[in-house]
Order: sequence, then structure tokens, then C-alpha cells
Amino acid sequence: MVFKMARGPADPEVKAKVLEYLGKVQKAKSRDVAVAIGASKSDVDNAVKELTAEDLVEYLYITTTFICLKGKVQTPD
Amino acid sequence: MTEKNTPLLDELEKGKWPSFVTEIKRAAVKSEAAGELLQVLERSYKERRGHWKHGGIVGVRGYGGGVIGRYVDEPQTYPNVAEFHTVRLLQPSGWFYNTKTLRTVCDIWEKYGSGLTNMHGSTGDIILLGCKTEHIQPIFDEFSDAGFDLGGSGSCLRTPNCCVGPGRCEHACYDTLEACYNITNEFMDELHRPMWPYKSKIKFSGCANDCTSSIARSDCSVIGTWRDTLRIDQEAVKEYAAKINIKAAVCDKCPTSCLTFNAETQELSVVGEDCTRCMHCINVMPKAIQPGKEKGATILIGGKSTIVQSAFMSWVIVPFMKMEAEDDFAEFKDLMRRIWEWWDEHGKSRERIGETIYRLGMTKFLNGIEVAPVPQMVFRPRANPYVFWNQDDLDRSGTALDGSKL
Repeated sequence: MVFKMARGPADPEVKAKVLEYLGKVQKAKSRDVAVAIGASKSDVDNAVKELTAEDLVEYLYITTTFICLKGKVQTPD
Repeated sequence: MTEKNTPLLDELEKGKWPSFVTEIKRAAVKSEAAGELLQVLERSYKERRGHWKHGGIVGVRGYGGGVIGRYVDEPQTYPNVAEFHTVRLLQPSGWFYNTKTLRTVCDIWEKYGSGLTNMHGSTGDIILLGCKTEHIQPIFDEFSDAGFDLGGSGSCLRTPNCCVGPGRCEHACYDTLEACYNITNEFMDELHRPMWPYKSKIKFSGCANDCTSSIARSDCSVIGTWRDTLRIDQEAVKEYAAKINIKAAVCDKCPTSCLTFNAETQELSVVGEDCTRCMHCINVMPKAIQPGKEKGATILIGGKSTIVQSAFMSWVIVPFMKMEAEDDFAEFKDLMRRIWEWWDEHGKSRERIGETIYRLGMTKFLNGIEVAPVPQMVFRPRANPYVFWNQDDLDRSGTALDGSKL
């Protein structure tokens, strides 16, 4: 078992798949994204880290933390 | 100052203790938002319901936590607190500040926010209460330039916290300040980018007095202990004997009855194997009794307040771990990564790790993180029929399975 979370640059292919998946849904937990795109959770976390720094993805807190495309989900009423 | 009456809140200013209402009124002299906050709070007391919503977008680029969105439910009535977000800042270990630093925090906060602070929040970080969405990024930028970083919020590692440790306390069995600082720096990604089923907390207490309440309030409690035996200064014991009833105040209150006071010789003795390191005797007779020389920490897992399940206290998973050098911290970090990896894989959304362990069982958890079971993990192991002690061990300790003396 590999315990270390992924470090270093994210895989561009995983980043593209994350963006594509988030385009189809309103919001998601990163584990659900990992299952949906067939990538490891740590690779998705690493990709999300870069995508948020690039202002393409943002975190959203609604009872727990989700991720979504930047600007896709407005603050709930 | 707010012009409207707040008769219910005014009641909270009576008495000889400090009042948060008084402090908010002081802030309201400079801040309209603080004035409106009083009105919202007065109305909540009157109607017996809250008027706040929280959550939503976290506004600092690249970060997933540290700012908690808060909104009043009638923005047209209370425009100055329509957005009233909370900012969390990482606190220095042990909450040591100089006045220049505190002035810097307050100056930045009065420039952009309500001026209201909570020093410190229950997790331990600096809490800044009430700012608008447009000010979040400038606030972060200025605090960043001043040497601060955001704390944790959301489904991430929450800001680790520690007791004052060796900074002021003789009981500390390891350097809680260094451990907290070192380990916080290691897990910055986990702190700033929420990636887990729910929140996870680490608290560092230097001894079993547990001044951070880590056993009840953190998912991972790191509590100082010692591996050898209590050190007793018999001359100091004699001095205490002249002032207190040692048998009644210390020996009779020892949870494992491992201490004996000989009234004739005025000497105190301990059965080291029976001592659970509870700190009671040390607290009563600090000049006569000290922790052993071989110090470290016990690692416990699963403490939390009520969410999916009721409140839990942490369970022991590592009875003793040295916490002195970088290698010791590396061992702890590796353990935490294994724990989070397992929880991340098996935990349900909004399930703390203690609840995941409760649902799936300690056996699966220990197998998952590759930690061998030991008797210290079992509640009252000597009274538990599933733990098999050798007769030699029992003879040596002088205690039978039922707790009676052999």
C-alpha cells in the first residue's frame, strides 16, 4: 500500500478529466470524481490543488466541502 | 453606538464577569456592522431562533478553507451584516504573541472587518468575526504580508493546537510547541485544501492533565506520558506529610491504588506497572513526585463531539511514541498519513474518523493502518477476559484480575 499523498506536479490528463467531469455535474466530492474518472484519489486531490490555484475550480462548503467549476455554483439562498 | 434598545442583551452585561455584549457595544462605536450585529442578536433572543446562514463559496484563491461564509437571512433589514464572514488565522504555538503582533492583527482587522475577534476559537486559531466578500482577498493578502496564514475550515485538517507545554509548564513530557509547529508545517496541503469526508483535528497536550482537552475534542490526541516509573523525592514527601494527609489526598485517590504511604517511615512507594500516568499524585505533590525520565506521548484516535454518532472520547492506538527528534515526528507523520488514507477510503460524507472506526470496527482500522493490537488499547484490560495475562506478570504486579491485591 502506498500511503503518501501525491506530491509534485499534477498529471495534465487527470486535470483535464476532472474539469470535464465537473462540467457535467453541479458539485462533487473529490472521491466521487476519482471513482467517476478512474483515477486515484490522491491524483485527483493533487489535480484539484492546481486547478484551484489556476482559478478554474473552487471549493464550496455546504455541510461538507465539495468542489465545483469556478462560478458554477452560487451561494445558496 | 447603536441607537436601538437591546434590553435582553443588556441583561448579559450585569454581574461581575466580562460580557461579550459590552465588547460588541465597544466595537459598535467604530463599526456599523457590530451595531447591526447587536440588533440581529437581540432579535434572535426575542424570537428564539437564529438569523444566520453559513457556508457557500470560500473566497481566497487556491484555498479551500480558512474563511467561513456567513449571511444574515434578512439582508434588506440588516445591510451592514448581509455578509458577515468569519476568517480563521493560524495561531502561534502556545498562543505566544508580542504586543506589536497583536496590534498588527487588530489594525488589519479594523481596516477591513468589524473589529470583533475571538481569541481564541475552540479549535485554537485566531477568529476574526465579520467581513464582506469583497474584502476577503485583501484581508488574506495583508495578513500574508504580515506573516500570517489562514487556518482550517471545512473537510480538512483543522488548525492543530497545543498546550503551553515546556514554555511554562514543568509537567510537559514533550515539546508540544515544537511538535505542533513542525507537524502543522508538514500538513499545509491537508490544512488548506479540503479533501476528506469531514474535518479532522489534532491536539497536542504535554501530559495527562490534557489542557487542550484533546481526548474529547480532537480526532487525534497526542498526550504526553512516560514509559518508566514515577520519580519520588522522599525528603520532599516528608515535607508534604507535615502539611497534608498523603494517604487520603493522594494514595486513596489513585485510580489503580499503586501508591502506598508508610506513615512510620514517612515514605511513599509506587508499583510502577500499575500506574496509569493519570497525573493526580503529581498535581497534589509536584515538588515530591515527577514523571519518569523516559518521556514521550500516547497517540489516541477518534475523539469528537456529537454529529452522526454521539460524542466519543479517543482510543489509544500507540501507547508510547518518542516525540523528541525529527525522526520521532516523521514516525507520527507517517502514522497520520496511514490513518487519513484509510479514513479517506472508507469514511462516509460527514463521518469523523471515530465514527468510521465505530461503524467498521477497530480490527479493520488497525489492519488498515498496519498497527498491531496491544492490551493498552482495551478498556480495563486486566478485567477483560479477552486479554490473557501471564501468571508471572500478575505475580510481579501484585494485582489479581479483579483488581484485588495478591
